[in-house]
Amino acid sequence: MNLEKVVFSFFMILALTLNFGFFYGDVDNPEHHNVFELLAVLVVNMVATVLKFGDRSQMGAMLLATSLVAVVQLISASIVWSVAVHVHETGLTSAAMATIVSLSGGAMLANIISVILLMIEAAMLRH
Amino acid sequence: MNLVTSMILRRMRAPFLLVICVYTIAILGMIVIPGVDDEGNVWRMSIFDAFYFVSYTATTIGFGEIPFPLSHAQRLWAVVTIYMTVISWFYAIGRILTLVQEKTFREAATRSSFKRDIRALDQPFYLVCGFGETGRAVVSSLAEECYRTVVIEINPDNLSELTLNEMPEFVPSLAGDASDPEQLELAGVRHPMCHGVIAVTPSDETNLKIAITSKLLHPNIRVACRSEIKEYADNMISFDTDYIVNPFETFANIFAMAMHSPSLHLIYDWLTGSPNTKLSGPVYFRYGHWILCGYGRFGRQLFTHLQKHNMPTTIIDPSGEVEAEYNDVIEKGQCTFIRGIGFDAETLKKAGIDHAAGLIAGTDNDSNNLSIIMTGRAINPDVFVVARQNELSNRALYQATRANLVMRPREIIARKIRVLFQTPLLVDFLSLARDRDAEWANVTVSRLSAIVGEVRPHLWTVLIDKKEAPAVTQGLEFGRKITLGHITQDPIIRLQKLKCVPLLLSRVDEAILMPEVDAEIHAMDRILFCGTHEVRNSMHSTLNEMSSLNFVMTLVKEPESYIWRKIYRHYHRDERRKKERTQAPGK
Repeated sequence: MNLEKVVFSFFMILALTLNFGFFYGDVDNPEHHNVFELLAVLVVNMVATVLKFGDRSQMGAMLLATSLVAVVQLISASIVWSVAVHVHETGLTSAAMATIVSLSGGAMLANIISVILLMIEAAMLRH
Repeated sequence: MNLVTSMILRRMRAPFLLVICVYTIAILGMIVIPGVDDEGNVWRMSIFDAFYFVSYTATTIGFGEIPFPLSHAQRLWAVVTIYMTVISWFYAIGRILTLVQEKTFREAATRSSFKRDIRALDQPFYLVCGFGETGRAVVSSLAEECYRTVVIEINPDNLSELTLNEMPEFVPSLAGDASDPEQLELAGVRHPMCHGVIAVTPSDETNLKIAITSKLLHPNIRVACRSEIKEYADNMISFDTDYIVNPFETFANIFAMAMHSPSLHLIYDWLTGSPNTKLSGPVYFRYGHWILCGYGRFGRQLFTHLQKHNMPTTIIDPSGEVEAEYNDVIEKGQCTFIRGIGFDAETLKKAGIDHAAGLIAGTDNDSNNLSIIMTGRAINPDVFVVARQNELSNRALYQATRANLVMRPREIIARKIRVLFQTPLLVDFLSLARDRDAEWANVTVSRLSAIVGEVRPHLWTVLIDKKEAPAVTQGLEFGRKITLGHITQDPIIRLQKLKCVPLLLSRVDEAILMPEVDAEIHAMDRILFCGTHEVRNSMHSTLNEMSSLNFVMTLVKEPESYIWRKIYRHYHRDERRKKERTQAPGK
């Protein structure tokens, strides 16, 4: 029972599941997507990225890459949300919502790839 | 991911995690805790507002309470936020700074920047192992001739001089053990642009290891080693080390040259010195009784030469080994032995300094040597002094004593290596010249100085092949008769000779010393020239461009562009046919 591996996998899977939770629902309906869930997704993804630092293997490099992609997309989604709500004062229009949800969808794909790589690594170790 | 970046990232994991955690808690707190807006209603910060607030609080900027003054509950949480976030930021920054200062990190960083520098080298370079006094002399003499070098040295303090020294081009340096094959590889021994390895560490064993490693890792690379002990030198020869430099042996040869023919010694000194040495006066050797102080490796070699010329010698040495070794010679009366060091007047007088022709100060201690010279000169001011200079820093002292011949071991090695790598034909020239008499040497010196002047000329080798001399090679293929006189003609000004002298014409089966102007050139000949830089460039034009070659051979200036040439040829075809018939008989 490797505690480090447990923590590592926990955060990666948590990132994916939260992301899926945020993503699910009508793409342009603000009521289906909770801002706190977006905050949670962003924070957990950043934690997962930091945990992937410093691994020099090929697998480690790819995992870090996917995490960075996800974080970039989620930060963009947060910026769009803040701009829509605070800067433009129009509130959350369906166009803005759609943008936010698409970006989080992209992040989710990156997280899926991350988890698949994690599963492959786990499977390889059991030979 | 390269080592340096991954080291940084790994170290920064904990601080970054802490910062993220603390920020999140602070933001959540600020969102949850209610505030009061200007109308008295309950108001909560949005995520964005909270993030903004926490950002400028954590970095201690502190803009102010936005958009409304904070309620007390919010302020309470703000206090907690301040202490949490500011401390975690300082922790993260502190971590980065300690990491950067850590020795292993800095070593990894210098190593990776060194690797980058080596990979970026696109010019031929020489790898110099050992940066003591000899290494320094070698590197600066190579740099004078615009060669690039890379240095490995085991002691990092020695390398600090390299950064302070002003070398014309950047010299990448590595602090490491040159006998370790991994370090040699890191320094680029396998790099295709590495044209030679020069092993000048103080230890013969290390030099041997370097030679073996270089020959194995990069076959056919040229290796020059400094070696002072015979067993190691023999070992090096056994696996084809290209050049082995023994400073004592080299100096003994110089000594012999000075004995035999001062003009030849003058030529040697002048042609192998650094680029701005002026032609000095010849060193006139004295025959007669010689006194040799200090019988180490230096003294031993010189003694052999003195013996060859049957010169009575007195050896002054503190140890008794000499007596035992040379008992038979001593008995013959050819040499006497006195026990002592030789810097006191009494010992020297006993040795016969009053009527001695020469005095050799050959101990391995500079103070003793200087003392010997001064005492000797005080008694006999005209005695010919040969001195061994051990430390580079004592140069001024030896110059002040006005010794006739000073041996500087480091300089000798550096000079020899430079000559071996740059103009190997010069070595052939000097060995052929040694067989000639003093008369020849005198004539040569005057001829050279008349044409090229007083400052040391530039030396270069011309190989007559398709790459270096395409026009001449093509001309030879057509059957034209090309002589040295043609090549040394100025390709721009009519009937003017270039200021250079061909020193040696080397072919597979013969070598001609100081070839005549009408000597014919064949393909694959190597010619050693001495002259100025401008001359080399002018000659380059004759060797490479057909139009220049035609000009020097026929003195007729042909047009350069394609169309004009066709027109010209059309009008002058009768003349050309006539000329070709006379110039190339039998073709």
